[in-house]
Amino acid sequence: MNIVVCIKQVPDAPSIRMDRERMTIIRDGVESIINPLDRVALEAALDLKQKEGGTVSVLTMGPSQSEEALRESMAAGADQAILLTDPLFAGADTLATSKVIGSAISKMDPFPDLILCGRQTIDSDTGHVGPQLAEELNLPQVCGVTEIHVEMNALVVKQLSDGFQNTYRVSLPALLTVSMGLNVPRHIPLGDLEEAFSTARVIRWGLKDLKLQREEVGFSGSATTVLRLYKPPQKRKGEIVSGSSQTLAENLIDKLVSLSILDEDEAE
Amino acid sequence: MKTKQSRDWEGVWVFGDYRNYFQNRVTLQLIAKGRQLARDLGTEVTVLVLGSQIHQYAMEYTAHGADAIMVVDHPNLKNYQVETYVRVVSQLVQNFRPEILLAGATAFGREFFPRLAKRMNTGLSADCVALEIDGSKRLLIQTTPAFGGDLLADIITPEHRPQMATVHPGVFEERIHDHEARARILYPEVDVQAEERVQLIRSKPDQSRKGGLEDADVVVVGGKGLGSKENFQMLFELARLLGGEVGATRPVILSGWAEENRLLGQTGKSVKPKLLITAGTSGAVQYTTGIQGAETIIAINRDPHAPILKMADLGLVGDAKTVLSLLLEKLRKRL
Repeated sequence: MNIVVCIKQVPDAPSIRMDRERMTIIRDGVESIINPLDRVALEAALDLKQKEGGTVSVLTMGPSQSEEALRESMAAGADQAILLTDPLFAGADTLATSKVIGSAISKMDPFPDLILCGRQTIDSDTGHVGPQLAEELNLPQVCGVTEIHVEMNALVVKQLSDGFQNTYRVSLPALLTVSMGLNVPRHIPLGDLEEAFSTARVIRWGLKDLKLQREEVGFSGSATTVLRLYKPPQKRKGEIVSGSSQTLAENLIDKLVSLSILDEDEAE
Repeated sequence: MKTKQSRDWEGVWVFGDYRNYFQNRVTLQLIAKGRQLARDLGTEVTVLVLGSQIHQYAMEYTAHGADAIMVVDHPNLKNYQVETYVRVVSQLVQNFRPEILLAGATAFGREFFPRLAKRMNTGLSADCVALEIDGSKRLLIQTTPAFGGDLLADIITPEHRPQMATVHPGVFEERIHDHEARARILYPEVDVQAEERVQLIRSKPDQSRKGGLEDADVVVVGGKGLGSKENFQMLFELARLLGGEVGATRPVILSGWAEENRLLGQTGKSVKPKLLITAGTSGAVQYTTGIQGAETIIAINRDPHAPILKMADLGLVGDAKTVLSLLLEKLRKRL
């Protein structure tokens, strides 16, 4: 089974700084990681390869720096890595992103049997690229899978969705996005990382390598525009208390009493 | 699709999701909001209902404020199947040309709408927390948490139609049920061919969900600020003593301190307890969208500038772990 895993390098930072002029993230000085759910997708691919044979390719669209995420994936066991990078790809919404990734996958020979993505990323968190890529490639999709079993030319997958546990049979080729709980990604030994960073080959494709027009990609291929970014307004005006932990705990008890969660007569 | 004549596109459509009707109120919330947006635009709100034997829902949506209900009743639509639904709704959108199309940001909504937006070659914003009309340009301003949740982004779809958004459940108020309300019921002609490539073998209610977080009167939540899995465990005792449930932020889930079904916020559950105690959470928007519905919030955080303290009714500046263990000590004595 030939599998493509779509990954994204994301900033590993609780608070991200913004370039308010350009409305983009400032990536300098922030440590980057592979999006955690994409690691789960990669692990699932490596697991399927071990059972079924075939190859695992990792693919990402991003700036030159995102090559690190591809090398890390190769250290984990991926056979091939493709970086889709071009200044013209910048500023893409999910419509334009799925266009570029779809075009790159169409170019792969043989066409993959399975495409895996994380259900969403921790930075932009839309969860759009998986299903939009499935549509771009006219593939069946199941999002947020928690189990994958292989059958003849098909997969049986489980999904938790809106309070239901659904089991589907999906014919191949197909696209799945994965959920936390499918597996625990392996630890990558330092030696393998060093080797991947020094010797592994990463394929680079830009716009000229894909069958796409300039208007279809990046900012000009996007349907949405960010009008403004701002700190959310604070709705509540509550009381803020500092003091010893003892004082704070007493304050908390008083509040529970005033809310009738605890009875007053029990007060110390 | 990209359009030079955006004025040809008119009306607000809401995707009617009636599964778990009594728990899932997001469609009703969207009808109320959609109606307000439609009035700002001088047009109507239409609810789209797909399924098999679904007329009862058309009546409910009428009573909750829809101007029109578009019903596609066919055995092939019995199960919510993404590709079959995309096929049907994309035909309807092409034929009727609504300018705005909304769905709840449920798991299904977030699987279905991206594919539909792609087929229509239009924009989509995810998990919006506010919607507003810019009257001068007849544009929908879609507000969504951005970049790790510390900021909000206002997004527009300037030239493509329809303007599509999924909306976080619980952010808008539904209208009061009105028996007198009337709506037009439409039965459009549409090809309802089922998708063969994905077949539902089984669907059963997820038992782990029953009587859980969403219905609890008291919810206690922990964040990474608690420091360790062991410290996080204190929340379970606190929840038991207060008769509540335990929730968690995403960093906690990613660290494996709690199961994913406890995740609150944008990609998790929304809760509306009488009391929510949140300990060691900084207050990123992606989390706080899930707790907006709480009547009272008590927050404990070491950082006096943490956004969660400003949002809380009672903000305690201190070490969450220490305050929690003292609180537990006091509670054990009382109860």
